[in-house]
Amino acid sequence: MNLLDEGSVAIVEETDIVTVRQTVREAAGQIGLGVTDVTRVVTAASELARNVFKYGNGGSMTWKLLESEFAKGIELTFQDKGPGIPDIEQALQDGFSTGGGLGMGLPGAKKLMDEMSVDSSPQIGTRVVVRKWRSI
Amino acid sequence: MHRETITVIKVRGVLMVTMPADPDDATISALQEKTLEAMEEYEARGLILDLSRVDTLDSYFARTVTETGKMVNLMGGQTIIAGMRPAVAITATQLGLNLAFIRTALGVDQALDLMSEEHPV
Repeated sequence: MNLLDEGSVAIVEETDIVTVRQTVREAAGQIGLGVTDVTRVVTAASELARNVFKYGNGGSMTWKLLESEFAKGIELTFQDKGPGIPDIEQALQDGFSTGGGLGMGLPGAKKLMDEMSVDSSPQIGTRVVVRKWRSI
Repeated sequence: MHRETITVIKVRGVLMVTMPADPDDATISALQEKTLEAMEEYEARGLILDLSRVDTLDSYFARTVTETGKMVNLMGGQTIIAGMRPAVAITATQLGLNLAFIRTALGVDQALDLMSEEHPV
C-alpha cells in the first residue's frame, strides 16, 4: 500500500467542521472518486467531525490517500479528546444518540463508507477510521 | 472564517431562500430564525427552500430543514424544498435522513407552480 498524500485538520471550533468538509472534498477528488461517492465521503466526514466537536471535546481529522495494485482509496481518522464510548456496538446501531441528535453520526457514516473501525476508551478517547475505495 | 449570509426574498407571496453551498452550523440555524421572522413580517403563504447549490446535506442540516418546515406549517404556511442535487438525494437516502414531512420540487419554478396551485394568489 502506497501513501500518495496526507494531511490533517484540527477540530476545535464549530466552523472547523466546514474546513473538514472542504479538505475531504478536495482530497477525495484527487483519487478520482465520482460526484456521488465524493458526496458520501464528505457527508460521512461531516457527521464524524460534528461528533468530535460536540461530544468529544474537539480533536482532529487526518486524511490519507492510499494506492494499492487494484484500487485507490481515501482514509479518514477522527480522533477526539472525549470520555470514550462505553458501548461501541450500541453506538453503531441506527438511531442511537447520547447528544439529543438524530443518532446518525456513527451508523450513518458507516453506511456511506466502505470500511469503518472504532476504538474507544476513557484513556485515549474515541478514534474512528473510515475508508472509501475506487477500483483502478 | 466568516459566516455566510442568507437572503430571504418574497416572490408572489412566497418566501424564497437559497442555501449557500457549504453552510456552517451557525448559518444553518440562522436560516431557521430568519425565515420564521420573515414569515410573520411579510405574511407569506409559504417557504421555498432552494437547495440547488448545496453539496452536502448532513443530519444536522436535514434536521434543521425539517424543523423549519414544521414551524412554518404551524404558522399556517407550506414549505417546499427545491432543486436537491442527485448525489445529495442519494446520500441523504442512504444516510437515512427523513425528509418525508417536507414537500419537494425539482426546481424553484416547479415549486412556485405547486405553491400557486394550492394557494391561488
